[in-house]
Amino acid sequence: MLAPSSAETSSIEPRAVRSIVGWLVLAGAPCAFAQSPSAPRFAPPNLTPAGVRALAANCAQCHGTDGRPAPGSVLPALAGRDARDLAQALLDFRAGRARATVMDQLAKGYSDAEIAALADYFAARGR
Amino acid sequence: MLAAAAGCASPAPTRTRARVAVVGGGYGGATAAKYLRILDPSIDVVLVEPRAAFVACPGSNLVIGGFRTLADITTPYDGLERSHGVRLVHDRATAIDAARREVRLARGAAIPFDRAIVAPGVDPMWDEIPALRDPAVRAQVPVAWEAGPQTLELRRRLEAMRDGGTLVIAIPESPFRCAPAPYERACQAAAYFKRAKPRSKIVIADANGEIASEAGLFHRAWSELYAGMIDYRPNSRAVDVDVATGTVELELEDVKGDVLNVLPPVKAASIANPFITANGRWCEVDWLTYESVAARGVHILGDALQHAPVMAKSGHMANAQAKVCAAAVVALLRGEVPNPSPTLTNACYTWFSDQLAAHVATVHKYDTAERTMKVVPGAGGVSPMMNEADARYAAEWARNIAWDSFA
Repeated sequence: MLAPSSAETSSIEPRAVRSIVGWLVLAGAPCAFAQSPSAPRFAPPNLTPAGVRALAANCAQCHGTDGRPAPGSVLPALAGRDARDLAQALLDFRAGRARATVMDQLAKGYSDAEIAALADYFAARGR
Repeated sequence: MLAAAAGCASPAPTRTRARVAVVGGGYGGATAAKYLRILDPSIDVVLVEPRAAFVACPGSNLVIGGFRTLADITTPYDGLERSHGVRLVHDRATAIDAARREVRLARGAAIPFDRAIVAPGVDPMWDEIPALRDPAVRAQVPVAWEAGPQTLELRRRLEAMRDGGTLVIAIPESPFRCAPAPYERACQAAAYFKRAKPRSKIVIADANGEIASEAGLFHRAWSELYAGMIDYRPNSRAVDVDVATGTVELELEDVKGDVLNVLPPVKAASIANPFITANGRWCEVDWLTYESVAARGVHILGDALQHAPVMAKSGHMANAQAKVCAAAVVALLRGEVPNPSPTLTNACYTWFSDQLAAHVATVHKYDTAERTMKVVPGAGGVSPMMNEADARYAAEWARNIAWDSFA
């Protein structure tokens, strides 16, 4: 996709962005995500057990409920893996050191503390 | 009350089990029902869904292209009952009564609830394409925006079409369920035509000024894989259809075709009408709990929502929302505070042929100032080009999200 000019992206008002649709069409991606018109003020991460469990639930669409993929799936299980290995993999994806199709993009959504908590969560699940 | 009836034997008054009624067994509703039971097995969870099995929209365009069967994209509901103790009621909900706290059904007795989770999906706005108000016309112009018999009917019509014929796909103004889907459908039909009837054409009449998702990728696929086959017409809104002459009437011109696939605009499904608060089409919710802004105790998920910025109307998003909602409902039933910092992810896969795919991914977190979900800057993105690795992951994604939602 063509990279957008800064004039194009800066002219986008949040209200005009009615869906991923308009956003991706007008701004191109993925740099569009770095140029949000108003800087978000996110709630501080919830690293209580319930908060980490909720965070980990976002891995399940591809890696299976609680990190146990569907029978026959070639996607890696997360449950019962070594916490340091999992954390390192996520850090490598986030830093662009490990090649991926989508995990390098998704890992950028998580802080160091969230990555450590996710790794500990999945390490503690039974295989 | 039970304790009183039993005399002095019980040490403390027994509290009745909390009851949650979930209406709609798509990715959102099924996931909510499953995760409620995982998070708190003491909750009595009823899932109301008329269909015997779930037929996925993701992958259904591959059925239209002839690369998958309906069985490949069908998942039974019985895993929710067997593995998680969700009570399945195969009936159609006719009303969600927030005041009396009950879901009324077409056949069975009303289901009482402490909280309801409504994942209704979308309904076509037939009035926008007046001829389609007649079911007899709809039988000849299959919309196939819900996977199932209409998907097969559209496939059958493409198979019956002569080589050199024309398929017309009319796309409504966004937002609609699954922004890339109509363009993916064009790709799948083109992949079939290229193999089986290469003189055929596809006219895409798009109400939008540009392809509504992954525009660069689609333009490239159409020129590289299906050169000369696809005639894309932006700013071309369909206003009606004439089956007798095989005509799609656009605002400024008419387009004739041998097979017509006219997609009407959609809105939150009618069961959610009492909770529609935005533009007469969509339901607004509190993004921490998914509780309707229009009714206490009623939570709403999925494509029916007035979405937050850059939030896809997708099965993946509905699944992600369902988990936030289920955890919030468990907290509220216990008198606890719901998670103040929810995260959602989304990954939408698009198939450009039977071998090549791409994705769009986003990560969303809660903005406390605007009380909405916003994408995390720098996270997420789009595949730089269509590729085989994304196709492998698309198939694995489909398998695993079905596993996470229904098993």
